[in-house]
Amino acid sequence: MTPRQIMHIDMNAFFAAIEQQSHPALRGQPVAVVGSSQRTIILTASYEARPFGVKTGMTLNEARQKCPALQLVVANNRLYTEISRRIVALFHHYTPQVQVFSIDEAFLDVSGSLKLFGSAERIAQLIKAQLKAHFGLRCSVGIAPNKLLAKLASEMQKPDGLTLIAPAQVAAVLEDLPIGELCGIGRQTQHKLEQLGIYTCGQLGRFSPRVLKSRFGVIGERLVLMGQGVDNSPVVPPQEEPEVKTVGHSMTLKRDLEDRGEIARFLLQLAEMVGRRARRYGVSGRTITLTIRYADFSTFSRQQVQAQPVSQSEEIYRAALRILDRLLLGQPVRLLGVRLSRLEYRTRQLLLLPEERRRQQLTGALDEVNDRFGEFTLMSASLLGVKGKGSHVISPAWRPEGIRNVGVD
Amino acid sequence: MPMRRENIRVGVVHGPGSKIRPVWFDLQRRKHQICTITNTWRERVGQVELLHFCVTDDGALYELTYNLSSGCWHLLLVEAL
Repeated sequence: MTPRQIMHIDMNAFFAAIEQQSHPALRGQPVAVVGSSQRTIILTASYEARPFGVKTGMTLNEARQKCPALQLVVANNRLYTEISRRIVALFHHYTPQVQVFSIDEAFLDVSGSLKLFGSAERIAQLIKAQLKAHFGLRCSVGIAPNKLLAKLASEMQKPDGLTLIAPAQVAAVLEDLPIGELCGIGRQTQHKLEQLGIYTCGQLGRFSPRVLKSRFGVIGERLVLMGQGVDNSPVVPPQEEPEVKTVGHSMTLKRDLEDRGEIARFLLQLAEMVGRRARRYGVSGRTITLTIRYADFSTFSRQQVQAQPVSQSEEIYRAALRILDRLLLGQPVRLLGVRLSRLEYRTRQLLLLPEERRRQQLTGALDEVNDRFGEFTLMSASLLGVKGKGSHVISPAWRPEGIRNVGVD
Repeated sequence: MPMRRENIRVGVVHGPGSKIRPVWFDLQRRKHQICTITNTWRERVGQVELLHFCVTDDGALYELTYNLSSGCWHLLLVEAL
């Protein structure tokens, strides 16, 4: 069987590079993109800022200490999601098998496109040329027989790299590679593996699957395969993705809150965002979960099960409020999240009571207006005066289409 | 974005050293001035070595190849910008 040709494309310093293209004065300068809130961190840094030690996740003070000339730019999430959408459309010129991995990463299975374009390498070079010509952006590309190795390959040369791992090279590449370099092995797993004396992928690939299974459960066998560079997972285009299991939103508050009324106002906003997205994609859910993070970053969730699946914002809000009222808050609240789960698809209950029918019609009318004129054009009076409504963070689960396409400001 | 293979005439700057830089090319009796070279790479096909240049004029992206053995230039791809 001919080996698959999988490509992983990783846009280099995506947000910062877009800002440098949009604002020529920033080109060649150390640039960091930050969130709009007062408690923001560095979201990404340009390649000019990285040699100074500026990294994603740093506070602004830390970053300024490392690089006094650092130019801070507030994230323009709408622009980034729009450019990501256009880039994904460009990938579709080469293959329909495109799996968006995050806003700036994608896997392409080009095995079926080689007769049209010659080779996977040429496809990669053409994509790099097009990204430069259309957007002024650079990317790193990895080509390998599977997703695991393609992702590894794209990390090997940054920025603007192109790395091929041929099937015959796999064992040699992995032999001395630290296990933490593999996508899917996080810090905790790495630490546990090191306790077993496993430091390199070569050692992992030769380790007893039985021992790893007893230590890690079902994932144990998969870890051995990862050490051998085996990954049979397909590139899954959006139309073949499994249905999502939850719809949720969370927000870090501008300041820590203690007052129930203020917390309730943010819950109403979150419930509206969750309800809107659920209704747009025809889902309703039976379980509503409230997540709270305290000022000391300790986080917990509580949930409530509804008798009927719900998608109305008001019902989601009431359930979240009931959960809140059962809690004795031990500290000021830093983050709030509302999630709808145990989803049912394409269900629309016929309502018997005139009052319920009227409420459904009202929600439908509100949704239509907000679809046409933008989120929160029409809203509950309680939300009037609340600044910065809506989503301001691009979730790692963001996708250019479908229910995971969350509009961001 | 169909692939094509047309012989074309290209104006080139050779040097410094062994560098080759296309500057203009003729296509359908029109001279296209190259604005930017967005990517270059080498490809070996058997004994033959090809240099690929992705270039833009003011309206499209083109892929040109230079055959190091025969000295011939070809146009492989045109895509509107």
